[in-house]
Amino acid sequence: MSSAISVRHLTKDFQIGIRGLKLRAVDDLSLEIPRGQVYGLLGPNGCGKSTTLKVVLGLVSATAGEISILGHPSATAAARSRTGFLPEAPYFHKFLSGRELVTYCARLSGVRPADLSAAVEDALGLAAMTDAADRTIGTYSKGMLQRIGFAQAIVHDPELVILDEPTAGVDPVGSAAIGRMIHAMRDKGKTVVLCSHLLGQVEQVCDRVAIMDRGKLVLEGRVEDVLARRDRHVMTIEALTPAAREAAEAALAAHGARVTSVTHPRRSLEDLFRELVTGSRDA
Amino acid sequence: MNPSLQRTLWISRVTFLEAVRQRFFAFLMVLGAAMVLSSVSFRVFDFGHGELKFIADFGFGGMFLFGSVLSVVMTAQLFFSEIDNKTALTLLAKPLSRSEFLLGKFFGAWAVLGVFVVVLSGLLGAVMWAREQELVALAEQAGKVPVTFSASGLGQFALLQWLRLGVVIAIVLTVSALARTFLFAVVVGSLAVVAGQLQWIAQDAVLKPTGSALYGAFLWLSTRLLPNLQQFNIGDALVLGATGVPAEAVAEVAFSGVAYMVAYLFIGTLVFRRREI
Repeated sequence: MSSAISVRHLTKDFQIGIRGLKLRAVDDLSLEIPRGQVYGLLGPNGCGKSTTLKVVLGLVSATAGEISILGHPSATAAARSRTGFLPEAPYFHKFLSGRELVTYCARLSGVRPADLSAAVEDALGLAAMTDAADRTIGTYSKGMLQRIGFAQAIVHDPELVILDEPTAGVDPVGSAAIGRMIHAMRDKGKTVVLCSHLLGQVEQVCDRVAIMDRGKLVLEGRVEDVLARRDRHVMTIEALTPAAREAAEAALAAHGARVTSVTHPRRSLEDLFRELVTGSRDA
Repeated sequence: MNPSLQRTLWISRVTFLEAVRQRFFAFLMVLGAAMVLSSVSFRVFDFGHGELKFIADFGFGGMFLFGSVLSVVMTAQLFFSEIDNKTALTLLAKPLSRSEFLLGKFFGAWAVLGVFVVVLSGLLGAVMWAREQELVALAEQAGKVPVTFSASGLGQFALLQWLRLGVVIAIVLTVSALARTFLFAVVVGSLAVVAGQLQWIAQDAVLKPTGSALYGAFLWLSTRLLPNLQQFNIGDALVLGATGVPAEAVAEVAFSGVAYMVAYLFIGTLVFRRREI
């Protein structure tokens, strides 16, 4: 089976000014994004992530290289009909209601009239926007805008969903909700490509990650593989007394091992925040 | 219905809704309507022409002026708002072609101008009919032949104005597809309207012998690239003319408008296809 996205030797130059100076945004990038996984594309601002996504979607032309989506050349209607996209900081027509927007996007994505109502309700339900669907978009909070953007991206049941900074400017509760939506998509067998600066969330939801810097790929692999330090181990111990610790260190030293640090496990601030403010969603 | 046509119509529908919700549209519509309605108050300044002609000219002027401003500014705004706020990114990432997007914008904007023309023509017709009744009564009392206007002629004129504004919208969309800023699109679009109004001068000049081949080529090219927008201004003959205008002549003007619309939209689509968003 072909990859969800295959990028081979992609290079993208932008011409700047009248003299045509070239700015290389993406430099000989090759990626294979497998199907059915959540894939994180990381990197600092200006590293070429969004440009790569735009080239993949056919919104920007490649200077060199080949890209295919689900086996189809990118930038073709066949490829885009099976792809959903949520751009960074999306803006939608304020006068439309959430339901009207999702219906509009469903029709543009080729959902048949007979399936339209069910598809729209499913997408609104998955994005937890059913209750606010009849309000105009102008009244939505930032988190709701992202969620309605997510709904429009998945309304045609695409095999591949591309999310560019889906949690930018969203509070931790909204961010966690988007994380749950991403998990739900993976559970349905979809491929999700996530571009984000929130490394903690990427670590939680992604199966694989690629890190870009200055247009080049600097690291790619499974999250466990790229984060694990195979020469170190962590044990969580309850009721550790000083005597027990001394005995344990002695026992380990007898086998040539050495304790390098002993700390108390911490929960993340995000976990604590979510625990404390559960139920105060911005609906 | 053809899926491509369906997508185009959905873009048109949302474009139309967006445009009619803008204060700019309402403002120009009210100004245009006020100009038509106020023509009755100003009819004493008819400069020796008939009152109905003065009222008609006032209405035609309002339709031309505010329709032109609306078609240039609103079209550029509708196009650039989608590009600037990234709505176009969301839409063009769907199986929607650039030509469908551009045509959707065109038909949405043209429909808005259709509403504008219908409302103003309706108002103008009502004002002229009311005054015509009074003038007919006065003429009969004086034993004179009354001056009347042709409602069907007004309908034909409204149709031609709608076509003229469609040509302007197509030109502005083509410029917008190329332009990087809203201001550039508005300025160049406005200049194109002015040049189109003056195109007949180049048409006259091209018929006269010229010593310079370069100048001759420039004139020839100008007359082909720019539509003659003056040819749509046959309101006097259509609405007040005693003999009207032959149907073939009206059809010829309409065909010319449609041909320019198609040509500019084709060029606009080619340009927009290459645009990086």
